[in-house]
Amino acid sequence: MPSNDSCAPLIALRDLHLSFADTRVLRGIDLDVQRGQAVSIIGPSGSGKSTLLRCITGLLRPQRGQIRVGDTAVHELRSDAEFIALRKRVGFVFQQYNLFPHLSVLENLTIAPCKVLGRERREAQDEARRLLGKVRLEHKEHAYPGELSGGQQQRVAIARALAMRPELILFDEVTSALDPETVGEVLRTIRELIEEGMTCVLVTHEMRFAEEISDAVYFTEHGVIVEHGSPRQLFNEPRSPRTRAFLQHALGRGERERRPLVPAGAAAR
Amino acid sequence: MSWLDAFVQWTGWLGLDYRFLLDAYERGSFVAGAWVTLQLCLCTMAGSLAVGVALAAALVSGRPWLAGPTRLFVEVTRNTPTLVQLYCAFLVLNMLISEVIGGANPFTPFAWVVIVISLHKGVFHAEALRAGIEAVPQVTLEAATSLGFSRRQRLWRVELPLAVRFALPSLVNNLIELVKMTALASAIAVGDITYASILIWTQRDNVLELMILILLFFGLLSFVVNCLGRGLEARLRMPGYGH
Repeated sequence: MPSNDSCAPLIALRDLHLSFADTRVLRGIDLDVQRGQAVSIIGPSGSGKSTLLRCITGLLRPQRGQIRVGDTAVHELRSDAEFIALRKRVGFVFQQYNLFPHLSVLENLTIAPCKVLGRERREAQDEARRLLGKVRLEHKEHAYPGELSGGQQQRVAIARALAMRPELILFDEVTSALDPETVGEVLRTIRELIEEGMTCVLVTHEMRFAEEISDAVYFTEHGVIVEHGSPRQLFNEPRSPRTRAFLQHALGRGERERRPLVPAGAAAR
Repeated sequence: MSWLDAFVQWTGWLGLDYRFLLDAYERGSFVAGAWVTLQLCLCTMAGSLAVGVALAAALVSGRPWLAGPTRLFVEVTRNTPTLVQLYCAFLVLNMLISEVIGGANPFTPFAWVVIVISLHKGVFHAEALRAGIEAVPQVTLEAATSLGFSRRQRLWRVELPLAVRFALPSLVNNLIELVKMTALASAIAVGDITYASILIWTQRDNVLELMILILLFFGLLSFVVNCLGRGLEARLRMPGYGH
């Protein structure tokens, strides 16, 4: 393992700028993720959260700024081979699952390990079955994505990312397309991964989940990091009035009945 | 031969004249015509699919110098009658080639039919495939990219398998049309089943009888293509999609 020491972050973003045509989506983002950490990014829709994740794995290229994943300077990568080497190390789970609909669940899990990593077919299948067990879908290996519920598809997508044995996984609003009853089964899978020490970056609208599992939380709005800190600090004592307004709105909608909203500063337990 | 005799006698009662079947020469030319039609079908199917894939690749290549001329070719080809194209190719192009290289012109009338129909139907295949390619969700390709697929792997493992599934009903449709289109070969005296029949009925004046046979023959061929196509669709069906 080339990880040098604990203080060098696994992911480091510095002054990231990205525009689509005239729309400035990212306007100077700084973000650090230590190895083994779970970091959540919250914020209103259209604040550049998904764009940020795509930059980390080279699906989008920022116009300015630096991205480091371990020893790799992502902003300097040019050739396809270099990007492929990066993507072997970085898992990505999408909001819409994006499984391959023409392949069975087992094939979805083995195609990349076999074709991209060159792993033996049998070995990849054994690993895939183990991962399906981990996400509690061992009985679905012959099913096709179209035959599964949203929550099941998303767990297959997580297992597909894990099958590459990545160093870290990026989760892009992975529960936003799910109905409330199936959100829980996906969050449970992610929670177990974090407990095992997998480095995770989550873009999420699940505030309580973010508060519970994160080592750090970033709040973004209009392409900048408004505020970041420990979940306890950010959720209970937000420094910025914008964070406070967002949380009041976000928590007020779905979760008021479960937790009375405490005024900022008065919630330290 | 007794069952042929019985058939001719039985249809005779119905007022149909199938006596040419009892003449070894005429029967032979009819069967040979059917065989030529079958060969035409197989050659043009393979040819048109190859042309279709190549043209579709050019159309979605994103390179203006390639996509532009291809688009022009597609529009010209699908907006002019196949029969006229066949005459132009055989009577004009073929003549020019013969003048240049003399008697060694390798292009037979059969070859011209295969070339013209392959290009004509290939254009329709290309549009069907383009529709299929454009129906592949961008996010599915993004997922393949995020897993470290190379461009080539992404094309062959994800994009094409999905595009072909989406395009398949249209492709089968085109192939059924293609089977019937091979009757055009008779226009430049390729000895297909239609041409063989014309030769027979000018001698015997039994147009109706031969028409019935030709219709049954093409109907059967189209039906076989239809069944193969449906079989392939069923085989490639993605569970949970469609019905």
